[in-house]
Amino acid sequence: MPGEHTTGLVIDGVALVRGMRVIQPALSHTIASGGMTLLTGPNGSGKSTLLRAVAGRLRPMAGTISCAVPILYVGHADGLATTLSGRRNLVDWAGLNGLRADDRMIDRALAAMAAEPFADLPARMLSRGQRRRLALARLALSPKAALWLLDEPAAGLDSAAAADLDRLIAAHLEEGGMVLAATHTPLGTGKTHDELALEAHP
Amino acid sequence: MTGATRHALGAQVRRDIALGWRGRGQALVMLGFFLIIITLFPLAAGPDAARLRPIAVPVIWIAAMLASLAGFTRIFADDVRCGWVDQVALSPLPLALYALAKAAVHWALTALPMLVVTPLMALMLYLRPAEMPALLLALALGTMALTLLGLIGAALTEGARGGNGLLAVLVLPLAVPVLIFGVLASTPADGAPITPHLMLLGAVLLVLLALAPLVAAMALAEAEAETGA
Repeated sequence: MPGEHTTGLVIDGVALVRGMRVIQPALSHTIASGGMTLLTGPNGSGKSTLLRAVAGRLRPMAGTISCAVPILYVGHADGLATTLSGRRNLVDWAGLNGLRADDRMIDRALAAMAAEPFADLPARMLSRGQRRRLALARLALSPKAALWLLDEPAAGLDSAAAADLDRLIAAHLEEGGMVLAATHTPLGTGKTHDELALEAHP
Repeated sequence: MTGATRHALGAQVRRDIALGWRGRGQALVMLGFFLIIITLFPLAAGPDAARLRPIAVPVIWIAAMLASLAGFTRIFADDVRCGWVDQVALSPLPLALYALAKAAVHWALTALPMLVVTPLMALMLYLRPAEMPALLLALALGTMALTLLGLIGAALTEGARGGNGLLAVLVLPLAVPVLIFGVLASTPADGAPITPHLMLLGAVLLVLLALAPLVAAMALAEAEAETGA
């Protein structure tokens, strides 16, 4: 990657708790521009909790997390209102984030995850994998430098959709974006990546 | 307010209106509940003007309170469960403004229809037409204040087990000042709709307008979606 590697995400000595139990006493990690880190570890080791902490959705017990760029978070929950269509959900999300997305950009984003055939149906009529694809279509509208937080992004996706996701991630890294993904299945992006292996702290 | 915030607020309000329209059955149920509570009084007390007229205003107020209460639990429930609140938290839209938008749309879709049918209900309870303006004005302010109280309750009980019952126990005592000032403002001694009681009700509303969105935002700051898997 040409140019300087600006550091985007810094996780410094972060302690995570769930309920009353410490699940990670001290985590440190950095991701630079164009970098991807895969979060691995057994169930309950705090992968989702770390992602939520980076997203600012829970305060770590100790330590600091700083991120210099916009964050996109695709968690377990897809963020789709079930009575609205997938397209409407995506348009609302773009509006919420002040992304000027005209019809063509929305169509392109839906196409990136091959979601156009079912984009106009209410989300409640869709399968888990289809909803997942709609949630991931947001990534196609992402600002270039953003940090993507992906929680088991490929869960429920068929192999074609998983390949679409890999392409989106590869293009994002190419443009200097960053990815922090919790996953059990390796992503086939063909990009080098770091691995942050969390241990279980029973 | 920056342009990005305004843009985001507009998107959120449009989304809430669309969601409210898709879920209009719930607003209709609340309206039906409001009508039924009021209609039960003439049935129970007898169609006697001398008995119904003195209780007309309190009955309408209590019916409005109970009917509103039924709708508060849903204000944030779907957004938290599906993960939309996570997306709002990462957007340029502050959670407090998000909560305020939720309250405004909720009021427009649930309380406004109640206000529209109130004159009809008031006539049934032998209230004189000249007394309507004061009642409607006070009820408009009162339902706004109630909605803001409901906003706090809804955000606080989000994720709490058995939140519905808890919400009623939490919100109804706090709504007592609204009820007292509201009923007094609805029955002015000289018939003029602007009374000191209405101003006190307005003051309560302004305090809630400043505080409720902030309290709701604090409660939502770490509200967690159901893990989907």
